[in-house]
Amino acid sequence: MASVTYDDVTKEFDETVAVDGLDLEIADGEFLVLVGPSGCGKSTALRMLAGLEDVSRGQLLIGDRPVNHVPPAERDVAMVFQSYALYPHMTVYDNLAFGLRNKKVPKGEIDQRVRNAAQILDMESLIKRKPKQLSGGQRQRVALGRAIVREPAAFLMDEPLSNLDAALRVQTRAEILKLQQRLGTTTIYVTHDQIEAMTMGDRIAVLRGGVLQQVGKPEELYTRPRNVFVARFIGSPAMNVVEVESTSDNGRDMLTSKGFEIDLPEGMLAKVSTDGADGLTVGFRPEHLELSGADDGSGRARIPAVVDVVEYLGDEQLVHLHAGEVPLMAKLSVDAGRVEIGKHVTLALPLGKLHLFDRKTELSATSAGP
Amino acid sequence: MISVGIWIVYPAIRTFARSFFDRSGTDFVWFDNYRTVFTSSTLLTAIKNNAIWVGVVPALVTSIGLVLAVLTERVRFAVAFRIAIFMPMAISLFAAGVIWRIEYDQAPERGAINAVIAGVHDAIVPPGALPSALPSTTALAGSPRQGFVLRTPTEPGELALLGLTGILPQDVARSAKQATLPQPQPGAIAGVAWRDFRPGGGTSGVVEREELGLPGLTVELRDRAGRKVGTTSTGANGTFRFPKLESGEYEVAIGAASFRQPFGGLSWLGPKLITPAVIAAYTWIWAGFALVIIAAGLAAIPRDLLDAARTDGATEWQVFRRITVPLLAPVLTVVFVTMLINVLKVFDIILAVAPDSVQADANVIALAMWRASFGGVNDFGLGSAIAVVLFLMVVPILALNVRRFRREL
Repeated sequence: MASVTYDDVTKEFDETVAVDGLDLEIADGEFLVLVGPSGCGKSTALRMLAGLEDVSRGQLLIGDRPVNHVPPAERDVAMVFQSYALYPHMTVYDNLAFGLRNKKVPKGEIDQRVRNAAQILDMESLIKRKPKQLSGGQRQRVALGRAIVREPAAFLMDEPLSNLDAALRVQTRAEILKLQQRLGTTTIYVTHDQIEAMTMGDRIAVLRGGVLQQVGKPEELYTRPRNVFVARFIGSPAMNVVEVESTSDNGRDMLTSKGFEIDLPEGMLAKVSTDGADGLTVGFRPEHLELSGADDGSGRARIPAVVDVVEYLGDEQLVHLHAGEVPLMAKLSVDAGRVEIGKHVTLALPLGKLHLFDRKTELSATSAGP
Repeated sequence: MISVGIWIVYPAIRTFARSFFDRSGTDFVWFDNYRTVFTSSTLLTAIKNNAIWVGVVPALVTSIGLVLAVLTERVRFAVAFRIAIFMPMAISLFAAGVIWRIEYDQAPERGAINAVIAGVHDAIVPPGALPSALPSTTALAGSPRQGFVLRTPTEPGELALLGLTGILPQDVARSAKQATLPQPQPGAIAGVAWRDFRPGGGTSGVVEREELGLPGLTVELRDRAGRKVGTTSTGANGTFRFPKLESGEYEVAIGAASFRQPFGGLSWLGPKLITPAVIAAYTWIWAGFALVIIAAGLAAIPRDLLDAARTDGATEWQVFRRITVPLLAPVLTVVFVTMLINVLKVFDIILAVAPDSVQADANVIALAMWRASFGGVNDFGLGSAIAVVLFLMVVPILALNVRRFRREL
C-alpha cells in the first residue's frame, strides 16, 4: 500500500493536451474518484499511473518512488478495466492466478490467494469456468478478483461499473466500497458518473479538458463548488445557473435577471469579489427550491414561474419551468401537492443556498452558503 | 453440378482408373505403378523432399509471419513495410522462381546472394594478392593452400630467392619495379620475391631484366623447428631483409594468405542445397500472406487485454507468449493449414528455380507427377498413380480443415 502523487503531470498526444499540469496527492488507503465528462483526461491520468501511457512532463510517484520510467509490470498496481479485459482463453482460476504466476509466486501460495480472493468475492463455484460462460456481473467480479489477488500498492479502476445494468451497478458500488474499506488499499476510481463519484469517493477530483477543477470531499464539492462547471457537474439534476445584473441602491442590494429579481441581505454584495464590470452568474440547486407559501419570511427569494413539464418520480417531482425568459428546474416534494403544466407558481429559495460566480471567469465569487 | 461433374469428378475417376494401366494405357497392370512410386529412387527422393517441405515450410512461414506481424504492429511505417513484404504475393510463383534462380547463381558477379556472401567473406578474410601464383622453380616447395617454402634452409649471410610465376599482369601491384638482387650481409638473410617470367623466354630462378619485384608480400622466417621467428614485407623491387639473426639454419617462406582464392560462391542450385534454396524462395513469397492474415488477427485482439496483462505484471515476452499467441491460435491454425495444403501441391517454383540437372534432387510429388506424365516419359499410368498418392495425402488435411470450418460455423 502506498500513496500516489501527481506532480504537475502533463500528457500530450501530438497536438492535443489530454492532461494539463495535474497536481494531485492521494493518501495511503484513500478512495479517490476522478470524475469528469468524457474526454476530460481522467482515463489518461489513470493510464499514466498504470504505466500504459508515457508521461510527457511532470512526475508521478507511487509512495516515494518516481515511476515515470518504470514499466507497468513493476509498478505494483492493479487495474480494473471497463471492458473487464478478462483473458478469454483462461479459466477464472487462471485469470486470477495470471499476475501471481508472472511474479513467480510459489504454486501453493498462488492457490491459497486465488481461493481466498474467490471466497471474498463469493465466486468459488465459478472458478473453473471461462469468461464466456459468465454473466456481466460475474465477469466484473473476476476483474475485481484479479486485482485484489495481487495485493497491490494501489487499485486503479477505469469505469468498472459502466457495463452493468442499473440495479447491479448500485449493488456492486456498495461491494467495491466495502471491499476497499476492508482491504484499505489506495484506490483511484475513474468515472463519468457524478453519483458514483459522490457515493464512493473519500475525495473527488473533477477534471475538465485535462485541467483539474477542484478536489475535495463530496460535501465540499456540493456546497462550495469552486466554479460554474463543478457546480453544474456535481448534483442531479444540475444546478440552475442564471446570468444576473447586480445593482446596489440605497443600501438595497439586488440581482436582476431576465425573469426575476432577488433581494440580497444588506452588505452581501460588498463581500462579492469580482471586477464588477462583467457581471455575475447566480446558481441555485433545483432541490433547494420550494413552492412558496403565504408565510414566507425574509431570507428567501421569491421567483414567479410557469410550469412547462413535470417528471413525476413518486416521492418527488422534477419540474421544468420558466421565469420570464429564464428556464429553471426545480425538484419539489409531492407533499405540497402535484404541480400542473401551464400553472403559474411562485418558488421560494433560501438565500443561504445561493451561489454567486464571476460571469467571465466562472469562478465562485462568494459562496453565500454556510 | 454439371461443371463440377465435368471438371472434377470425371477427371478424378479417370485418373484413378488410369493409374492401374501401363504407359500406353492398353494393359491392366494392377498395382505395378504404385509399386514403382514407392520403389524408384527418384520418386522416393520426391516423397522425402515433400516430407521436408511439409515439416519445415508451414511452421517457418507461420512463425515468420507472426514475428513480422508483432514487430510491425507498433512501427511508424508499418503499412509500407507490410506492403513491401506482401509484394511477392503479387508475382506469379513461376516468375518469382525465375528471379530466385538468377539470384542463386553461383558466380558472385551474377548471383545477388553469393555476391553478398562474397562481400562479407572477402571483407573478413581478404583474398591473397597473388591468388594464381605458383613457384617458378622446384626450389620452392608447398602449395597455394599451405604457402611456399624454400626447400634448402638458409643461413644468415645468404640470399633467399623466391621466384613466382603464373601471375596475371593485372595482379602485379602498380608500385612494382624492376626486381633487384640485394647484397648479402653477414648476420642477416636478405632476398627477393619477384615475378620470374619474362615475355619471350628467360631463365627461371634467375633475376633478369624486365622481371618485376612483387611488393607488399609477407615473407616469413622460421627456425628449423618450424616456429615463426620473424616476418617482413617486400619492397617495390621485391627485396626483403631479416637483420640481426643468430647463426643457424632458417626456412624462408611465403604464407598461404598471399595465395588465398577469393570467395567463389556457394552452389545454391547444386544437388545438396537445392531444396533449402527453393524453400527459402517459397518462404519469401508466402511470408507476406502469413503476415497480412496474422496482422489482421492481431488487430482484432482487444487492446485492453494486453494492457491488463501488462499491469498484471507480465513482461512484453510474457504478454506475447501467454496472451497474444493463444488468442491468435485460430488465425495461426488457418495460416498453418493453408500452407500445409499449398506445400503438398508445391510444383511450379521448383520447376522454375531448379535447373534441369538437379530437378531430380529437388523433386516433390507434384513435380514428379508432372515429369512422369508430361516431362518426356509420357507415362500417364505412373503419373496417375502419383496423382492418386498425392490426393490421398491431402485428403486428411482437407477433412481436418472442413471439420474445423464447420465447428466455427
